[in-house]
Amino acid sequence: MDFSFPKEYQLFRRMVRDFAEDEVRPLAKAVDREHRVPFETVKKAAALGLMGVPFPQKYGGMGGGEMGYCIMMEELGRICTSTATVIGAHTGIAAMSIYLDGTEEQKQKFLVPLASGRLIGAFGLTEAQAGSDAAAIKTTAVRDGNHFVINGAKVFITNGDIAGIMTVMAVTDPSLGAYGGITAFIVETDTPGFSIGSLENKMGIRGSSTAECVFQDVRVPKENVLGQFGAGFLTFMKSLDIGRASLGAACLGGAQAALEGCMEWTMAREQFGVPVATKQSVYFMIADMAAEIEALRSMIYRTAWLIDTHQPHIKEAAICKLYGSEVASRCVHKAVQIHGALGYSRDYWVERAYRDARIAEIFEGTNEIQRVVLASNLFRPYGMRIPS
Amino acid sequence: MDFGYLDSWIEEQVGREVVEQVGTGYRNIWVVAETIDGTLAPATLQTMGQARDMADQIGVYVFGVLPGEQAAPLAQEMIAYGADEVLVAGTPTLNEYQPETYTKALADLVNQYRPEILLLAATALGNDLAPRLAQRLNTGLISHCVKVEIDMSERLLLGTFRILGGEMYNTLACPEARPQMATLQPGYFRTPNQDAYRSGEVQEVEVDLSGAVGRLTWANLDAAVDKPAVPLRKAKIVVSAGRGLGDAEGFALAEQLAAALGGVIAGTRGALDEGWIAEDQVVGIGGESVAPDLYVACGLSGDIHHYFGIRNSKLVVAINADEKAPIMKVANYAVVGDARQILPAILQALTR
Amino acid sequence: MKIIVLIKQVLDPAGILVRRDKEKMFINREEYIVGPDSKAALEAGLRLKDAGGAEVIALSMGKPRAEDALREALAMGCDAAYLLSDDAFNQADITVTASVLAAAIQRLGGADLIVAGRESGDTGAGQIGSRLAEALDYAQVTDVHALAGEQGAIQATRRWGSGYAAVRAALPAVVTVAPEAFPARYAHGAGIMNAYREWQVTTWNAADLGLGEAALKPLLTFRGESFPPPLPVGEQLRGAPASVAHELITALELQKVIG
Repeated sequence: MDFSFPKEYQLFRRMVRDFAEDEVRPLAKAVDREHRVPFETVKKAAALGLMGVPFPQKYGGMGGGEMGYCIMMEELGRICTSTATVIGAHTGIAAMSIYLDGTEEQKQKFLVPLASGRLIGAFGLTEAQAGSDAAAIKTTAVRDGNHFVINGAKVFITNGDIAGIMTVMAVTDPSLGAYGGITAFIVETDTPGFSIGSLENKMGIRGSSTAECVFQDVRVPKENVLGQFGAGFLTFMKSLDIGRASLGAACLGGAQAALEGCMEWTMAREQFGVPVATKQSVYFMIADMAAEIEALRSMIYRTAWLIDTHQPHIKEAAICKLYGSEVASRCVHKAVQIHGALGYSRDYWVERAYRDARIAEIFEGTNEIQRVVLASNLFRPYGMRIPS
Repeated sequence: MDFGYLDSWIEEQVGREVVEQVGTGYRNIWVVAETIDGTLAPATLQTMGQARDMADQIGVYVFGVLPGEQAAPLAQEMIAYGADEVLVAGTPTLNEYQPETYTKALADLVNQYRPEILLLAATALGNDLAPRLAQRLNTGLISHCVKVEIDMSERLLLGTFRILGGEMYNTLACPEARPQMATLQPGYFRTPNQDAYRSGEVQEVEVDLSGAVGRLTWANLDAAVDKPAVPLRKAKIVVSAGRGLGDAEGFALAEQLAAALGGVIAGTRGALDEGWIAEDQVVGIGGESVAPDLYVACGLSGDIHHYFGIRNSKLVVAINADEKAPIMKVANYAVVGDARQILPAILQALTR
Repeated sequence: MKIIVLIKQVLDPAGILVRRDKEKMFINREEYIVGPDSKAALEAGLRLKDAGGAEVIALSMGKPRAEDALREALAMGCDAAYLLSDDAFNQADITVTASVLAAAIQRLGGADLIVAGRESGDTGAGQIGSRLAEALDYAQVTDVHALAGEQGAIQATRRWGSGYAAVRAALPAVVTVAPEAFPARYAHGAGIMNAYREWQVTTWNAADLGLGEAALKPLLTFRGESFPPPLPVGEQLRGAPASVAHELITALELQKVIG
């Protein structure tokens, strides 16, 4: 059993790491301070094929599969969670949903510009009254000749205001409920009737934008139905199931950065005449961080392998997100403590890491939902249905 | 009659010389001179000094080689700097450096006179020429030597050069191929004293440059290049300003030092607050981390928060009036004094 | 233009720690990379390709692991890659390296332009450019900071004296480039994947190059390693500004950080 990364992935990791250090890191503080999306980074990433890592080259992607994508998300997450979020939402759920369920024509028309980074993608699911209860969405899509007319409002949409293409879930038949009554659509955001409402003022990942997206009689051609008509819920769940693994990878990167930072600091900082790294209360914390990170690392890349070899992966991806987000939270919490007052200073990266990590337990399916997914997949083989 | 016993007497008499001549047939140390604006280049003088020392050690002569008609008047000066004989290849063709003509001229002279050691300075010209010449002569070349010496037990040139960015040295020798070639890194060898009373021979030599065609067209000997911008975190030399510089005038001194050293200006949060630098020029835990070969801290006290940002610097110089400032204990060289007075003195010394 | 770029795989210096006080070199992370000088050479060659009508071939002499360096060269945009590898090369000095590379270049039918880094970074002999130019009877321009191609020639700005000189060289030519003058591009992601999955690296050994024992015998022998003295810490310099300045500059010049 060979646990080493194939050579192309080792080279890819080195390239992404160099890119992240030289292009992403210098902007990390500024994008957080100024609450802006690093478009210059997105442009440079697109030029290197980093906006479509998991997708085959025939669709304008890099051909790196889930393995390559997780490597990139880890390396980006290690430097700037905001940048990882912008690229992650674009690739991991928006473009991914078209890749998983789109027709060949849809892939050529919509996936290619997304994978090549010419357009940014967003995933329009959440609404004010429909978060964890995704089936409670009220946005409607009504058939009108060769079009569907979409009306409603989505909230908390990452990249919502900068996306050129959005995959949107809408109710097509209220009487049928989640299975049969909801359809996924591909919406080009320059379609008349689409507008942006407010932008969220967030605790962290302030280098990404989270927008309210309003649909007022937005007409989309029927060719833009994504996946099976009425099976939109399944289409979106498929995408979210896979997206979890790479979100876990970004959390891994963030945890790794916390560990590296703590080690550097504790070796340099002296108190009571010695480096604080030699104090048991400190190095026990660092040891705990390292142990969790290694366990998470194995989890992430084994899950990526399961996905790339087309094996069942729903449980594993849920664990990646659940465990990954909690490991990252614990690591940044320890990082603040280890850095002492410095960890509380807005001039230093630690408090930004602390704020950035918190969202991982919430978005892309709260950790409570992950537990529901995990439990229901655990009990299903025994015929026991776990209600949400 | 068997006269074998006479042979061994004859051998003993001429002993040493026979070994040397039969062994390799190569003798003497050569220095190929380089001229700048009609004078011998400082690097050539340093090489001469080294050649003289080694020649004295093994008891051989130093030959200077002057290529080009315009170099001919410098023959006496080469003797004054230690040459026993100077070969002047005074053809005007060699006034302009062309790898092909220089290689032909020098290779022919080497094959005719057979020096055991051939030295050049590791200047732009020397670095360009020496390997081509060594390849022509099918011999070994030890380049960028920071130290050369003779291993007396084997009469071998040992050349020592820097590796790993100067953190280590390697030493090589060329046991068999002749001449043993080396280029000497400028600045590592002392310049010898000029002795006007030294005497030596000057010999004009003809060189046959047929078949050697220079393929370079020198368009501009005073060109300039646009250097790609180097971000602070990758800068090799950083001069950093702290509040101890007092005011904008004091800060300007630090800026001048950065320019004089070919480095980048940076500073502390204090310098930022004073309005002397921009946010992205702040070094320290809340700013940029730097890892230069040289970090000069001017008028800053340098607590742990600052030190953390510079801890990967190779060499730290601190200039501070307070000898107890934290930076003064971690700096390699701690200059105790007012930066506003020290900096002008440094700037002045650099121009010399 | 047919361009051959010479690259060398070296130990990542970031994983090497030299303790002068202990007179030891520690390798805490053994990772091999394309040396920065080689990366600059690749960048210089690829820029000429970008400018139009050039083919870039990457060539490296090294252990079998150097194949990874060549794949990275392919990922960056080279059109072909050749590895010269043989146990018989293990004792090679710079003269043997020149023989091996020259034989390979000749087997490739020569080139219009050979590009190499000024030094190889780790042992830094800085000789290979001029040696190859002699072996192949090409023109040579070393320590180049700017490079442009034209019909049958290259225009280069090279380090000269204490400044720079602009020079034109007729092709075929060998050029060595200064690493700081050619910051290297990133390899494109798809290129990285294809470099291992689709594209090939051709490997030649001593027999393929027609090199016998005589050609592979080194002329230089290794006589030892040593260390510069450790840097002082907290060494105070006091006195009148002029004398202190002089003392400081002398110390810095001796340490080779300035001058």
